[in-house]
Amino acid sequence: MGPREILNGLRAAHGEGIQRADIPSDTRLYLFVDRGALPSICRTVFRDLDARYVISIGADDRPYSGSFMVAHDFAFDRDHVLCSILADVPAENPTVPSITPDVPAASWAEREIRDLVGIEPEGHRYLKRLVLPDGWPEGVHPLRKDFAWDTVPEDYDEDRPFRFDDPPEGCTVVPFGPFHPTLDEPAHFRLYVEGEMVRGCEYRGFMAHRGIEKLAESVLGYNDIPFMAERICGICGCVHSVAYCQAVESAVGIKPPPRAELIRTVMLEIERLHSHLLWVGLACHIVGFDTLFMQSFRIREPLMWIAERICGNRKTYGLCLVGGVRHDITPEIADELRGVLGTLTSEWRDVVKAVSRDRNIQSRTEGIGVADPALVKEMGIIGPVARAAGVAMDVRKDHPYAAYDRVHFRVITASGCDVWSRVLVRMEEVFESVGIIQQCLDHLEPGPLQSPLDDMLPVGRIGLSSVEAPRGESHHFLITGENNRPRRWRVRAPTYQNLQGVPSMIRDQRLADMTIALGSIDPCFSCTDRLETVEIATGKLQMWSPEEIATLASPAPGVSTQEVHCR
Amino acid sequence: MSLGAKLGEALVCLRAGRVTLPYPAAPRPTPEGFRGRPIFDADRCIGCAGCANNCPAREILVVDLCQEVRILQYLGRRCTYCGRCAEVCPEQAITMSRDFETASPRISDLRQRLEIFMGACQRCGRCFPERSPLESLKLKGYRFDDIESERWVYRSAAFLDGHPLVEDVPIDLD
Repeated sequence: MGPREILNGLRAAHGEGIQRADIPSDTRLYLFVDRGALPSICRTVFRDLDARYVISIGADDRPYSGSFMVAHDFAFDRDHVLCSILADVPAENPTVPSITPDVPAASWAEREIRDLVGIEPEGHRYLKRLVLPDGWPEGVHPLRKDFAWDTVPEDYDEDRPFRFDDPPEGCTVVPFGPFHPTLDEPAHFRLYVEGEMVRGCEYRGFMAHRGIEKLAESVLGYNDIPFMAERICGICGCVHSVAYCQAVESAVGIKPPPRAELIRTVMLEIERLHSHLLWVGLACHIVGFDTLFMQSFRIREPLMWIAERICGNRKTYGLCLVGGVRHDITPEIADELRGVLGTLTSEWRDVVKAVSRDRNIQSRTEGIGVADPALVKEMGIIGPVARAAGVAMDVRKDHPYAAYDRVHFRVITASGCDVWSRVLVRMEEVFESVGIIQQCLDHLEPGPLQSPLDDMLPVGRIGLSSVEAPRGESHHFLITGENNRPRRWRVRAPTYQNLQGVPSMIRDQRLADMTIALGSIDPCFSCTDRLETVEIATGKLQMWSPEEIATLASPAPGVSTQEVHCR
Repeated sequence: MSLGAKLGEALVCLRAGRVTLPYPAAPRPTPEGFRGRPIFDADRCIGCAGCANNCPAREILVVDLCQEVRILQYLGRRCTYCGRCAEVCPEQAITMSRDFETASPRISDLRQRLEIFMGACQRCGRCFPERSPLESLKLKGYRFDDIESERWVYRSAAFLDGHPLVEDVPIDLD
């Protein structure tokens, strides 16, 4: 089913609501719809066509079209189509019907739109602030175009304490974070415990805001942003930089030269390798097995050195520009890289052999942090967490980018749905990544590294790009703009969706297992928090009754179970 | 307890041997192409400001002190060592050094300041580089504020005094 067939199907069901559609290629579909038709179209796309929810975007389009804009992005993984459903929202009445009752995974994104752009999602059952802190004045929305990037509202009360929700009866609150040995970045969980069992939690994140999206829309230029995008995340920086460049390229129709695509693929896989080795190490560290933590990091180190050799730095590669790459892989470096990969493969094989039979690790991780396929669907969970639940989704296969259409690899899945399965998936994926890099090195043909960019980039085009980061899909949405910079750039890091599944993963588990259950999604809070102006956000996790969990697993249409504000 | 697995893990550790490097007791050389602190060469710089225009962190500032002197300042505060400046420089006046041990309690230790002598076109008043600083000094600008007495007015100097971008940002940690 291509984008045209999807469009025809939707036309038949919602003819009135769809104003126009744009199919720039076989893999993209942009639907412009009435805002009133959003929920029903999204329900059809999400339930009947079984698309995966990706993210919702709000944009202040008033200086250009006179209205606000809301977009809901979905991915048709089997059909290899990325779809954006866009609706205009009049400036004088910025409200939009919420899709969260139909698509529970959209809960955070809609609250974020409300905070940052000031578009009210009507029908959303839990409209507590997500991104903005409690002391931020009402009616001030930082992502609006009339809000300067360096403004701090006069009546912003930085010291106002958070409003926390009351714990349910019979439960005690155990604070977890913002500083905790197993959290490398700040996030605050208030765990409701009954005895030793976690019954629910309230989450407050968004403490590490750096205003990167606002900066990109008001200060930086197209070719400055890759270097800022790289700093969205300390681990998957190259992912964000590639995803941004691909979003621009997809919007304006630039094709990077083949050699550049292969080099991007090599660096992305080097990044995945080092991230997976790091994660296995950290997971062992969390369950108290520091020996393997040390060994993982030892095996990982030569990878960092070879990255430094290729691009001048062990982590922030500074690799991408719009339309190409900056660093070349010379034959000497390619040989060195092959050597490093050879050593890594044999050393990692020993580790995998030992660990996969280790009863201690297994008993700490088996049956812990369960995310079943139903939860994966409802919360839009992605990456190794989804693959460990038997859902064979991998953006590299489903929406091939860079050079992934030219290499062969397997999508590793497991069926346990628990942390142990995630360990197995990640350990196996290391070998696939090694294979991908070796194939890319074989394919490298001499050629240019950069496509010529002579003209100004056209204005007002939409670009979507998904990149499989080590921890799941990174999705970038972009609208090109004037003054050599995008009008709107929205980054959806994988943890944004995965974190919304954590409450149900830790529910009814022992407190001691909380750390590894959270660690198992490889949470990256600075990624998730990227966005806008100042800091902190409020957020709440609702308690789920067993009935609610049951209805979540088999959602009945129209039932308000999707009250699941799984943040 | 799975004995086989434990033995395997022990073997992984034993085979590794000692891997810790003696850094910082012994220096750790960086590879070729390492992107360390950028070094600006005043003799090569022509004052085109391409580096300033392309710096993602906006850490390179170019100000005209007067018609004939252009100041290029590299502040080094939030420089990410991305190397874009070195890449776009038409005269190779910027090199990414291998210097990474730049920790300092005074941010001004990282600052570099170039005074570039520019020749000004006698007709349009725009600056262009002279062949040598000595030659530049001989030239006179066009934009006189006091045409009668042909007095040279250092227009930009007043503006520069105490300008936060030009003065070093006072971040002293000691």
